[in-house]
Parts: sequence; C-alpha cells; structure tokens
Amino acid sequence: MNPAHFTFACQQIAALYRQGKRIQVWTSSQEDACLVDEILWTFESDSFIPHNLENEGPRYGAPVEIAWTQTKSKREILVNLAENAPAFASNYKQIIDFVPTQEALKQLARERFKHYRGLGYTMQTIDTE
Amino acid sequence: MTKKITQVFAKEGPFAKTFSHYQPREAQIQMAESVHQAIVDRQQLLVEAGTGTGKTYAYLVPTLLSGKKAIISTGTKNLQEQLYLRDLPVVQKILGSSAQTALLKGRSNYLCLYRLEVNHHQLPDYDRDVSSEIAKIRQWASETVDGDLGSLTHIEEDSRAIPYVTSTVENCLGKDCPYFTDCYVVKARKKALEADLVVVNHHLFFADMALKDTGFGELIPNADVLVFDEAHQVPDIATDYFGEGVSTRQMLELARDVRVEFRTHIRDMDQLGKSADKLEHAVSDMRLQFPDQTERGRWHIKFNQPNVQDAFFELKKALAFLYDVLKLAIGRSEAIDRYFERCIELKNKLSKFEDMHSANTILWYETTKRHLVLRLTPLSIADKFSEYIRRSQMAWVFTSATLSVDDSFHHFTEHLGLSHAKTAIYPSPFDYPHQALLCVPRFLPEPNSPDMGDAFVRTALPLIEAAKGRTFLLFTSYRMMLEVGTKLKALTDLPLLVQGTTSKRMMLERFTRLRQAVLLGTASFWEGIDVRGDALTCVMIDKLPFASPADPLLQAKAEVVQRQGLDPFATQQLPQAVISLKQGVGRLIRDVSDQGVLVICDNRLVTRPYGEVFIKSLPPMKRTRDLDQAVRFLKAMK
Repeated sequence: MNPAHFTFACQQIAALYRQGKRIQVWTSSQEDACLVDEILWTFESDSFIPHNLENEGPRYGAPVEIAWTQTKSKREILVNLAENAPAFASNYKQIIDFVPTQEALKQLARERFKHYRGLGYTMQTIDTE
Repeated sequence: MTKKITQVFAKEGPFAKTFSHYQPREAQIQMAESVHQAIVDRQQLLVEAGTGTGKTYAYLVPTLLSGKKAIISTGTKNLQEQLYLRDLPVVQKILGSSAQTALLKGRSNYLCLYRLEVNHHQLPDYDRDVSSEIAKIRQWASETVDGDLGSLTHIEEDSRAIPYVTSTVENCLGKDCPYFTDCYVVKARKKALEADLVVVNHHLFFADMALKDTGFGELIPNADVLVFDEAHQVPDIATDYFGEGVSTRQMLELARDVRVEFRTHIRDMDQLGKSADKLEHAVSDMRLQFPDQTERGRWHIKFNQPNVQDAFFELKKALAFLYDVLKLAIGRSEAIDRYFERCIELKNKLSKFEDMHSANTILWYETTKRHLVLRLTPLSIADKFSEYIRRSQMAWVFTSATLSVDDSFHHFTEHLGLSHAKTAIYPSPFDYPHQALLCVPRFLPEPNSPDMGDAFVRTALPLIEAAKGRTFLLFTSYRMMLEVGTKLKALTDLPLLVQGTTSKRMMLERFTRLRQAVLLGTASFWEGIDVRGDALTCVMIDKLPFASPADPLLQAKAEVVQRQGLDPFATQQLPQAVISLKQGVGRLIRDVSDQGVLVICDNRLVTRPYGEVFIKSLPPMKRTRDLDQAVRFLKAMK
C-alpha cells in the first residue's frame, strides 16, 4: 500500500525534474524506496522520470535517486519521505518534506520541521488541500 | 474506389463472408484508403500499422483493385512465401481478381542446371555430407517445375551443398550457358515480368534497382505500384546495395578458374598459371595481415599500417599482372573473355580503396575466417534514392509495425530522402495494458558489468519456472548467451535450446513442439518470427539493442553528425535501438487473446533520460519493476 503522500511527492519530484533539477529522495526503508520507484516508473509515458534506487544505476546516479542507507552523489534538493530527517540533511539547498494527515505521522513531521529549522533552513509551508 | 474499399471490408462484405467472426477494423480500412490514395496520386506513403491492424490485407486490397502493375517487397524469403502462398490467394479469391501473380527470389534460390551437372562430377571427395546432399538434389532436379530450392524441405537453407548447385552473378554463363533455355532464374524472371503483381524481397529489389545483378534491372521500370512491407529494414538494405564491395574470395575464385582454364584448354600459356599462383599468394598474404578472428573496422586505420599497405599493393600488382596476361589470351576461349572482364572489375573496385579522401563514402572492411571483404558504403543515400523515386513516377508505399520512433518518422525519411511522403500511424488494436507486462527488474548491475550473467540467470530462473518454459531469452552478444546457457543448464530441468547448434527454423519448430522449452538466441531471433498463442509467454532481453559503437559504419556516420553539431547518439543509435526493441516486443503479443511478460534486464531503460523515448515508442504495456509481479502475471496465465 502506498502511503498517500508518496504519490503526491512523486508529482513534486516530476515537476522538479522538468526544471532540470537533480533530486535525492530519502526513505525509511528499502520497501518504501521500492514504492516510490514503482510510482515513478508507472507514470504516464510523457512524464517519464529517469531514476535509480540505491545500489543500481549509473556511477553518479540518475537525475532522481532514491536511497535509504546512503547517498551516492551531491545534489541540490532533498525530498524526504522518511520518518526521521536524515543525518546529512544540512547538505542541501532545498528540502521538501510532507505533513501527512494521519495524526501519528503528523507528529513525526512536526519533529522534522523543528530539526530543519534547527539546521538553519528557512521554512515555508504549502497547503495542498 | 474508396467506396469499394469500404464495401470490401464492410460487416456484410466479402471479407465477412470468408472469415467467421469477422469484425471490420477501422484502422485497416483507413490504411487501405490511404494506400489507395497514394496509388492514385503516385505518391509516397509511410504507414506504421501496429501488430494486429491487418496491414497485409490493407495494402493488398487497394493494390489489386487498382488493376495496376505492382511489386510487393518484404523482408525475408519466408515472409515472401507466406504472402504469396497464403495471403495473396485469399485476397484474390475475395475480390474475384484474376491478376497474374509471381514469386521471385534471389538467384541463389534457384537450381542452376549447369553447375549441378559440372559439380556433381568434380566434387571434393573429402566432403561426404555435401556429396550426399547433391545426390538428393539431383533426384529432386528431375521432378521440379520451378527449380526453387525452397521446396526442397529435406535440405537446410544454409547447407554447404547449395553453392555447388546455384549460380552467382560472377559464375553465371548467361546466354553462353548450354542450359540457358531451361534456366530457372531466367524463367522466374520472365514470369515476374509478365505478371501483374510480383512478390520479391528487399535484397532482390535493391539489387535490381542498383543494377547489381546484370541482365535484370527491368523489373522496377515495369511497375506502377511498389509496396514495401517490413519497411523498417529498407534503409540498411538499400544503403548496402548503393555501396560496393570487393572480397579476397572473388579474387581467389578468379585465380582458380583461370588455373583450371590453363590446365584444360590453354596449356601453352604458362603465364596464365603463374599469374593465378601469384594472385592466390597475394590474396592469402593480404588476409594474414588481419587477426584470425573475425572483425569489422575502418579501412583507413588499417591502410595506415605499412604491412597492410604493402600487402594491398602486392595484391594490386598481382591483379594487374593477371590483367596483362588475360589480355594477351583474349579470344582464346569464351571463358577467358569472361575472366578478363571479372579481372577488370576486381581491379577497378580494389583501386577505390586507395583514396582515403572521399567525403561521401565510408570505407570499411570485415574479415571472415578465411577472407577479407573491403566495403564502400555511401554516407547517405537520401539524394540518390529521392531522385530515383521522383523520376520513377510510381506510388511508393512503405509499411511496417515498427517505423516510427516517438511518433516521428524523421529518422526514416531522413535516411531515404522521403521528405515529401505522407505519413500515418495506426496503433495496434490489442489491449496492451492488460495483455502485456513490461518489467525492468531492480538492483541489476550496469550493462557490461561482469556480474551481469549471474544477475540474468537469477532473474530468469523464477520467470521460466513460472512460465513453464515457453520463454525466449534474447541476447545482444553470443558471449552472454553462452554464459547464461551454461549456468542455467545446471539450475533447471526445462529443455534449453541454444542458438548455434541447429538452424533457426529447426529451433523454432522444436520450441513449439516441446511446449515447455526455453530458447536462447541472439538478436537475429527478434525479427520475422511468429509464434502465436501461448507457446511463447515470456521474452527476456539482456540489454537494450544499441548497435556497437565500434561498428565502422556507425562510427563514420557519428563523425559526420557531430561535425553538423548534432548528437550522434540521439540521431543514429537511439532510433535504431528503439525500432529493434519494438520488433522484439512484437514477437510476444501476436493476437487479441495473447498474453505475455517482457523483461528487459537493462536498467538504463529506467535510469537514463532516453528511457523516455523507448517508453513512448513501445506499445502501452503495463509496467513494473517488481519481478514478483511478473512471476505472478505468468502464473495467473493459463
């Protein structure tokens, strides 16, 4: 089952890729990474997103890379889909994270929000309703 | 006329009366109408008709209805036979057409009575297989009506006996032949010239067009309508025939023929024997300058090596010497006169490989086990071909299930100079999202990685078990095919059929008969085979079928494209690979009720931006990266 915000996240990834950005996607587990992989791969053919999972793909990674234990190359944007912000979160120019509607997940998102602010990021929230 | 076409395909029309459960197909009718229009306007038309559109009938109907002289050219001899023996009679019957039709194949498909007679007396006695096959052919020769070796079912297509009983342009005696009046090649051509509709293949067509088989070249000017089926093959084949080649084999044959003539008829001219020896010597020395294993490469690089250059000029000298000697012998026998002409031709061709500065041609070479072939290929045939078409004033229809790349015909029109052609794409009526699943498994090593063989085997095992055999494993290299074959053998009880042991036809027969076999083949299996129904349910491909960047033709073209500031990958390699992959996919789903899984073990399809071009060009199969899902799909099939 896809967490509801994964599909939404993938649409954001698609939009960023179309702007020519290289994106790091971070997930809690290989399982989640495969879910993201599957969503991107089954997009309509005119929204094709070249991407790779950790442990596959070209040496410096595809334009979009999905990882859960380590990252391969330096990128501008992090899309976080993990429950905890990754330790290397401070390496990015921009981080995109999500606040799911489910209460327990929402609480975790609040923690991440604080963490990012602590790292010195300027926070901006967008309502998707 | 269009009204007539609609009637033919209508729900209560003649097609419906012939086939039970007939349903008119909109795409087929539209295609027939556009072919009709092209015939009326004497225009060029490019049609991509997805598998299952019924394109054969869609061009046969308007062609026959037009009552004009037509040539239909297709990819292979098998497809020619299918068209001529199966499809054409059906459509003729339905239309009540009394058009005279003919099937014409290349010269090497017809028995040569003269060569059979000569060779069965003087065969090398070490070759028992050949002798016994020639005995069989002699038996058959007394019964055959048309001399078409295709009807000789018990002799393999690639039998070594065939060259002994067929002629080539070089060794044909033409009008001087004692068997000329009974010649099957002549008879077949005569029949073709008199027919209203001739079925040929692309090789034959372009040999005729480029006047590569002399005494022919009369077929095309005679026609009003030309239809190329399997037209995606046309650019490469046409380019070949607009090129030229000269081989050490031709030189060796000439040397041998001259020696035989010297020993049998002109014994007084010692020089004949000497010149033959000298040429033979120079030929083998030339081949020795190249590695033992077969290779292809750019000629100018080799020509820069002093040893190759020396051998080349020795060869040239040997031919010049033979020329001088033959010149003195002219008139001594008819054979000598013919050898003289052959010598001139070889000499002229060879001299073209001294000039490294021609901007419009690519010089390259390829070696076989024993021989060397030098080839000259035009960089582009677009100007010549389009000029030919313009002058011909005929209707030219090009159709195939795989002509477009990302909905564009650009690469095709560019290659052949067909910028004025009308184009149409009729998608397949199949329900691909439900009938087929495309899987690119996760965590595969990069292509060319040494681990790829093991990864392929790991991926293949659950699939072939789930599919209960019924799988094609297709490879871009022999090496990988053999590696996977060996490893798989230790891990499965399913019968494995590995290409190379028997002919392609026999392998396919066994595959269909065994019903649970796994066939391992190289890219040549991708085209032109038709395994309908559930005999084939899974196709696995090891790598996206890009042509090797070391290919001399590709290299040369890439340089030119680069100079124009274009990307050779995007303009050359990518479209060609997309077309091949489309062909491969086409093998899997042949019918509305077929189902199947395509697994491509090349993650570049997912990870590289050009994956988009492939995905957009392939039929809209359901996609997954989850191998388990592919396995479940196969298990759920009956």
